[in-house]
Amino acid sequence: MGLQGKFSFRPSERLSQDRPRRGGALRTLAVAGVTLTTMALTLVGSGASSAGASGIPTGGTKVSGGTVRWAEPPGTPPTYIFPFMSPQNSSVDNISQFQYLMYRPLYMFGFPSNNKTTLNPTLSLASAPEYSNGDTTATIALKSQYKWSNGEQVTANDVLFFLNMLHAEAPNSNWYDYVPGYIPDNVKSASASSPSSLTMTMTKAVDPTWFTYNQLSQVTPFPAAWDITANGGAPGSGGCSTGTYGAASTDAACTKVWTYLSGLASDPTSYASSPVWGVVDGPYTIAASKGGSFSTSGQVTMVPNSAYTGPQKATITLQQLPFTTDNAEFNSLVGGNLDIGYLPQQDVTQNTTNATSPGPNNPRLSNFYLTPWVLFGFNYAVLKYESTGNNGNAGAEYKQLYIRQAMQSVINQPEMISKFLKGYAVPTYGPVPVLPTNDLVDSYEQQNPYPYNTSHAKSLLTSHGWKNESGVDTCVNAGSGSSQCGAGIPKGAQLNFTMVYASGTQWQQQVMQVEQSAWNSIGIKTALQSQTFPTVLQGYAAPCQSGSPCTGEEGWWGGGWEYSPDYYPSGETLFYTNAGSNAGNYSNAKADSLIAATTNTSTNLDNYQNYIAQQIPVIWEPNADYLLTEVKSTLRGVAPQNPFANLFPEYWYYVKS
Amino acid sequence: MTGFLVRRLLQAVAVIIGVIAFMFILIHLIPGGEARAVLGPRAQPLAIENFDKANGLNLPLWDQFIHYLWNLATFNLGRSYIFNQTVNSLIGTALPKTLVLVGISTVFAAVIAIPLGVYQVVRRNKPEDYIITGFTFVLYAMPAFLLGTLLILWFAIEIPIFPTEAPQSQSIWGILADPRALVLPVITLSAITIASFSRYMRSSMMETMTEDFIRTARAKGAAPRRVLYIHGLRNAIIPIITLLGLSVGTIVSGAVITESVFNYPGMGLLAVNSAFREDIPTLLGVTFVVTIATIIGNLLADILYAVVDPRIRYAKS
Repeated sequence: MGLQGKFSFRPSERLSQDRPRRGGALRTLAVAGVTLTTMALTLVGSGASSAGASGIPTGGTKVSGGTVRWAEPPGTPPTYIFPFMSPQNSSVDNISQFQYLMYRPLYMFGFPSNNKTTLNPTLSLASAPEYSNGDTTATIALKSQYKWSNGEQVTANDVLFFLNMLHAEAPNSNWYDYVPGYIPDNVKSASASSPSSLTMTMTKAVDPTWFTYNQLSQVTPFPAAWDITANGGAPGSGGCSTGTYGAASTDAACTKVWTYLSGLASDPTSYASSPVWGVVDGPYTIAASKGGSFSTSGQVTMVPNSAYTGPQKATITLQQLPFTTDNAEFNSLVGGNLDIGYLPQQDVTQNTTNATSPGPNNPRLSNFYLTPWVLFGFNYAVLKYESTGNNGNAGAEYKQLYIRQAMQSVINQPEMISKFLKGYAVPTYGPVPVLPTNDLVDSYEQQNPYPYNTSHAKSLLTSHGWKNESGVDTCVNAGSGSSQCGAGIPKGAQLNFTMVYASGTQWQQQVMQVEQSAWNSIGIKTALQSQTFPTVLQGYAAPCQSGSPCTGEEGWWGGGWEYSPDYYPSGETLFYTNAGSNAGNYSNAKADSLIAATTNTSTNLDNYQNYIAQQIPVIWEPNADYLLTEVKSTLRGVAPQNPFANLFPEYWYYVKS
Repeated sequence: MTGFLVRRLLQAVAVIIGVIAFMFILIHLIPGGEARAVLGPRAQPLAIENFDKANGLNLPLWDQFIHYLWNLATFNLGRSYIFNQTVNSLIGTALPKTLVLVGISTVFAAVIAIPLGVYQVVRRNKPEDYIITGFTFVLYAMPAFLLGTLLILWFAIEIPIFPTEAPQSQSIWGILADPRALVLPVITLSAITIASFSRYMRSSMMETMTEDFIRTARAKGAAPRRVLYIHGLRNAIIPIITLLGLSVGTIVSGAVITESVFNYPGMGLLAVNSAFREDIPTLLGVTFVVTIATIIGNLLADILYAVVDPRIRYAKS
C-alpha cells in the first residue's frame, strides 16, 4: 500500500552516472545554501503565539439559535442509528453522542450541568422505579409530558416493545450488553397495566439500585411507529409492542420486527430520509425534512426537534464533523473551523494539578476554554490466572496475593500521570473511580491501598522465599506456608513475565517502560511486547477457555472500562468467576459472594470495592481523561461534562461576544 | 500486440489471485480471531461465537477463501465489520476522493517535473541547475506530514488564504467545486513527486544527450530544439513512463499521510484504519482494488513504451 507518493517514487542513486564536471565546489555551496535557507525559513515560519484562556467563562447575553461545529474523535463517526444493536455497533459515538440525542433512554444518568454520576430524574422518561414484594417487583411510572415527534405519547407499551425485543433477540447476541443470567433472563414477566405504568417481576430479589442502574439503564422505549415489518406498515402491526412478554408468539413477532428494523439500519444512506428513524422523542433529529442530514463519512447535522416535550428545548444546530487524526482536528481548531473540539495530548503545553480541572490552555487557542472530560471508569492491565507461560508457572505466581501486591506497590501512578499525561488522568486504586467525585467510592480506595514503596515490595518477595539471582527472583523456598513461595510454585521457578501492550499511544508506552523498569528493580523480570490494539484485545480481553491453550501472561490494551450502561460499579461482569469480561479468569469465592450481595441485596458497594481494591485482581493503571475539550469562549452550557460521555446540546447557547 | 495483451491479461488474473490468497492467509494467521477485536472487551463468549458464525469465520480457511473468491467474481467485496456499510460502498466513497487528489497531484507533478528536468540539462552545471537541485533535495528530504503541517500553518492559519482541510464534499463535483481547498494538499503531494520525477528526468535526459544518435542528429544539422525535444526527450522519457505506470497503483491506494494531515479520508486512510481495526473484509477489498490498479498501470506503461519507442516490439518477444 502506498504510504505516500515519495516512497514509491524514490529513484535509485543515478548521480554517479553523470559525467565529471567543473565547478563542483560552487555547486555544493549553492545546494547547501538553498537547503539551509529553506530550512531556516521553515523554522522561522513555524513560530506562533498568543495568550490562551484557561478558566470556564460564565455570564454574557444569551443569543438564541446558531450552529455548533463539533469535532468527532478521530476515525470514529456515528455509524448506527437503531438503538438496539449488537456489540459490533455499540460505541460511545453511536450511543451516547448520537442515538441518545434522538431516542432517549428510559432512565438517563448524569447531568448536563455537573459531573454527578447518579440517575437524572429530570431527563428520565419515567419516575424512579418503585420496588415491592421483597424487591422482586419493579413498577415504572412513565411521565405524562413526553411525546414522540409524531404526536403520540411515550407509553408503557413503548417500554414493553423494547423488553419484548430484548427477550427475543438478546440470546442471539443482537443486544450489545446482554450477559447470560441478567436482563432479560432475570425478568419473569413484564406488562403494561396502563399507558403510563409498567410492572416487571424478577426471577429473584434484586438490589434496587443495581437493577435500576445496571439493568433498567439499558432500556430505550421504541415508538409504535417502529412496530412494523415492512415499509408503510400500520404502527403496531408487527405485534411486538403489545405481545405478552416471554411468549413464543411475541418472540417470533419481535424477531420479524427486529429483522426489518436492523435491515433498515444497515443502510446508513437512508437514515435522514427514513420515516421510521424520523420519529424521535429526544431533543434532536437528523430528518432531512427538518433540515438534518447524515453522511456515511461522518458528517451529521442534528437539528432541534421542534416537537420535543422534555424540560429544555434545543435551539442550537449540532454539526458533527469527522476527523482523520487529532492533528487534523487541532489544525481545524486553530484555524477557527470548530466551536467544540479537543486538545490532543501532544499539544498540551502545561500541567494541571487535577484531572478534572484545566491547567493553562495552549496559547494558540486563545478563543477557546479548556475543560477536561473525565469519564466514570478505570484502567487496568490483565493478569492471566490460568496462564501456562513462564515455564508453566505464571498462573500460579499471579494467584499469589503478595506477588500482585509487590507488582502494584512499585507503580507510582501520580508521578506517571504528572510526567506523561501532564496531570490529565485519574489514578486507579480499585474498581470504583476516585474521580469524577462520587458518593460510591470508599475512603479505603481513595487513600491508595498500595502507595509507591519499593522496599516494601522487595520485602514481600524475600519474605515469601524468593531470592534475587542474576537479576531475577527465584523461588528458593517452595511450599504453601506463610513464608514460602505459594501453592503450585516449584523450587527454582522464576518471576519472569511478558507484558503485551497496545502500540501507538505515547503515554501508554512510557507507562509500560517505567513499570518494566520498576518491576525489574525488585526482581520481577518483565519483557515488553507492543502489538496493535485489536491484537491485544484478542489475546487479553477475553477469558481463556478450558481446553484451549492459555499462554499469554499480562496484557494492557489501555482503554480500561467505562461504566455505561452499567452505571453502578458492582463488578459482576468483570470479577465474578467465569464472567464474560473477566479477562484474567480471576476466581475468588469471597469476591463472588460480595458481588452477589451488591446485585441481589440492598448492600452498598463498600465491602465489595474494598476487597477488590485490596486483592488487586488486575494491575491498576492510570486512566487518562477521555478528552480535553476545547470550547469556544462565547459558548455556554458545555462544561462540566457528563461522566458517561453523553452530550446535552439542548442546554448549550451562545452569548454575545 | 494482441497476443501480448492476452498474455498480460492472463498473467494479471494469476497475479490477482496470488495476491489475494497471500493476503487472505496472512491476515487469517493473526492469532485470536477478529471477533474480539471487533466486538470489544465487553463481548460475551456467546456473542463471539455468533459473530464467527454470521461471518463464516467458523469454516475452514480454504472454505472461507473459496467463498471469498466466489463473491469477488461478482464484485461483492463483503461488508465492513466496523463501518456498517458494504466494502463496495466504502471504496466507492473513498476511491473518487483519492483519484481526484492524487491524480491531480501526479499530473501536476509530471507537468512541472518533466520540463524542469529538461531545463536542468540545458542549464547543466549553471547556477539555475544548482538552485533547482538544492530545492528538489529539500523537497525530497521533507516528510509529507511536515510540509503539509507547515503549509497549513503558513497559508491557512497565519495568512488564512486557504482552508486547513481538503474539500469535505462526498462527490467528485463537490470536491472540484472547491479548488481553494485542494491547493495545499496538491502542493504537499506534488512537491515531493516533482522532486523525484525531475531528478529522474534530469538524469535520463543527461544520459540520452550523450548517445550516438544525438550526435548523428546534430551532425545532420538538426536544430538544437529538435534534437532536444524530438530526439532527446522522446527517448529520455521512458523512465518517467515507468514511474507514471507504477504510480497508478499509488493513485488508487492513496496518500495516507497527506490524507491524514488534510482531513481527507481516501483510500490510504481506509486501508490503514481497516488494518488497525482488523476490519478484514475492507482490508481485503482495498488490496483487491489496488492490485488491479497496479496491474493496469503496468500494462499501460508497457503499451506506452511501444508507442513512444518503435524499437520495442512486443508481438515478437
